[in-house]
Amino acid sequence: MATLTHYIVLSSILFGLGTIGFLTRRNALILFMSIELMLNAVNLMLVAFSNFMGDMAGQVMVFFIFAVAAAEVAVGLAILIALFRHVREVDITRFNVLKW
Amino acid sequence: MSDLGFSFSLSQLWQVAGGQIILIIAGLVLIFVDLWLSRDEKTDHVVTMGWLTALSFLAALWYMTGPGWRLNEIVLVEVFSAEKFGLFVSAIVLMAGIFASLLSIGYLRNNQLGRSEYFILLVFAVYGTIAMVQSVDLLMMFIALEVMSLSVYVLAAFLKDDRKSQEGALKYFLLGSFGSAFFLFGVALLYGLTGTVNITKIAQLLAMGPLLENPGVLVALAMLMAGLFFKMALVPFHMWTPDVYEGSPAIITGFMATAVKAGAFGIFIKLLSVAFTPMLAYSGQPEFQSTVNLAAFAAYWKPLLWWLALITMFVGNLIAVSQRNVKRMLAYSSIAHAGYMVLGILAANDEGRMGVLFYLFAYTLMNMGAFGVLYILDGQEGKAQTLEDYHGLGFKYPTLSFLMSLFLVSMAGLPPTAGFIGKFYLFAAAIKEGYLLLAALGILTCVIGVYYYLRVIWMLYMVEPSHEVVAGRVGVISMVALIAAALGIMYFGILPDGLAQVANVAQQSLALVF
Repeated sequence: MATLTHYIVLSSILFGLGTIGFLTRRNALILFMSIELMLNAVNLMLVAFSNFMGDMAGQVMVFFIFAVAAAEVAVGLAILIALFRHVREVDITRFNVLKW
Repeated sequence: MSDLGFSFSLSQLWQVAGGQIILIIAGLVLIFVDLWLSRDEKTDHVVTMGWLTALSFLAALWYMTGPGWRLNEIVLVEVFSAEKFGLFVSAIVLMAGIFASLLSIGYLRNNQLGRSEYFILLVFAVYGTIAMVQSVDLLMMFIALEVMSLSVYVLAAFLKDDRKSQEGALKYFLLGSFGSAFFLFGVALLYGLTGTVNITKIAQLLAMGPLLENPGVLVALAMLMAGLFFKMALVPFHMWTPDVYEGSPAIITGFMATAVKAGAFGIFIKLLSVAFTPMLAYSGQPEFQSTVNLAAFAAYWKPLLWWLALITMFVGNLIAVSQRNVKRMLAYSSIAHAGYMVLGILAANDEGRMGVLFYLFAYTLMNMGAFGVLYILDGQEGKAQTLEDYHGLGFKYPTLSFLMSLFLVSMAGLPPTAGFIGKFYLFAAAIKEGYLLLAALGILTCVIGVYYYLRVIWMLYMVEPSHEVVAGRVGVISMVALIAAALGIMYFGILPDGLAQVANVAQQSLALVF
C-alpha cells in the first residue's frame, strides 16, 4: 500500500534527478527536459498531498503549473532556436561568446 | 458579489488590485493599438507605443500612491493584499518601468529596432512584478514570478541579430527556470506541511509553535530562498547575471537590475517577515511570544544570510574591478548592491527593512540613469562598450558625462547623493543588531567600489581620447528622463527624511497583513 511518504520520496527523487540532470548534461534540450522533470516532480507531490489531505487546492495548483510550464517551454525553445541560428549547436559549452 | 462564490466584492477587488487591473487593461489595449498602428508601415510608431506605455505606468502609479495608499485598513481578496509595503515596492517597479519606457523610445530608434512588442512585454513584466509583491499566496507569487520572468527572458533576447543577446537570454532562461523550480518545490512542501499556500495562514500555523521545529519547514524555506536568490542575483546564485546584463539591450539590463530585483527583494522580505518570522510576535501580542521560539528559528537562516551578504559584497565588487566592459562592470556592481541590501534583511529590524526600501528606490533612480547614459554613449548597441571607449568623452559630451558621473558617484555611495543615504541606513541597521564585523567588511567593499566607479569618471575627464567615439542621437525624452533621475538622486540625497518616513510606514504595514 503506497503511503504519503512513498510519494514524497518518489517526487523528491525525481526532483533530485532533474537537478542532477540540469547540472551535469551539456545539451540545452536535455536541460529543458530536466527542468520539466523537476516541475512534474512538484506536480506529483502536490497531487499526493492533495489526495491524502482531502483538499482540492493542490490539484488545482497542478493545472496552473502545467500552464506555466507550457509557456516556459514555448519561450525557452524560441530563444534556443534564435540562438541556434547563430551558433548551429545546442551544446551549452559552445555558447561561450559571453564567459559563463 | 457573493453570488460569484468569492469572499470579496468587486469594489474591494478594485481597491486592492486597482493598479494591476489598470496594467492588464493597458497591456491588452496596447496589443490592439500595435496591430492597428502597424497597418501603416511608413510611420515609426515606437514613439506612440512608448508614450502609451509610460502613461499606463503613470496611471497605475497614480492609483497606487493615491487612492491605494490612502486606504488604511488592510483589505484581503483571496490572493492579494493592499498593504503599503507592496504598494511601495510596486511604486519602485512602476518608476523603473516609466524610466525604461521613456528611455526605450530613444534606444529603439538609435538601434533601428521598430518592433513595438517590446513595450507590450514591458507592460506585462511590470504587471508580473507588481502582482508578485502584492500577493499573499505562494501559488500566485509563483505565477506572477513566471509572468515577470517570461516577459523579461524575451526582452533579454530582443536583439535578434546579436548572438550575445540570444546567448545571455538562454542562460537567463535556463538558470531562471531552474531557480523557479526550486521555489515551486518549496511551495509544494509548505502546502503539504500546512495545508495552505496563503502566507498569512502559514504564519498563523507557524506561530502556534510545533511546526517551526519541523525540519520540513526549514527545507521548504531553504528551497524558497534558493529560488529567490537566483532572482536577487546573490553570490553563488549569480552566474547568469554578468552574461545576461552584458548581452541584453541596455535599457532592459537597467530594468532587470532594478525592477526585477526590487520585486524579488520585496517578496523575500514579505516571506521572511510575514510567513517565517511572524510579525505578530513583534507587534506586541505576548500570547504568541511565549509559544514561539523565533530566535531559535532565526538562528537557522541568519548565519546563511550573513555569509551570503559577505561573499556577495566581496565577489561583486572585486570582480567588477577587473572588468573592461562597462556594462559588465555595472552587472557586477549590481551584484554588490544586492549584497548591501541583504544586510538590511539580515538585520531584520525596522531600520533594516526601511533601509532596503529606501535603497531600492535610490538604486532604481541611479541604475536606470546609468544605463540610460550608457545606451546613448554606445551609439549603436555594441559599438562603444569598453572603458577605453570612454577616454576623454567628458569634453565631447559634457552633459551626458556629467550625468554619468553623478549616477556613478551615487552608486559609489558618496554624499550628497541618495546612494550614500541608502547605504548609511543599511549599515546603521546592521550595526544596531550587532553585526559589527560584517558592517566593517561591507564598508571595506564599498571602498573597493569607489575605486572602480571613480575610475570611469577619471577616464571620462582625465584621459586623452585614444580613438574617435560617436555617441548616438540624444532624444529630448531620454534627456528629460535622465535629468529627472539625476534630480531625484540629488533631492533624496539632501532631503531623505520624507522618503525615509514613507518607507518606514510601508515596512510597518507588514505587521498588519493578518
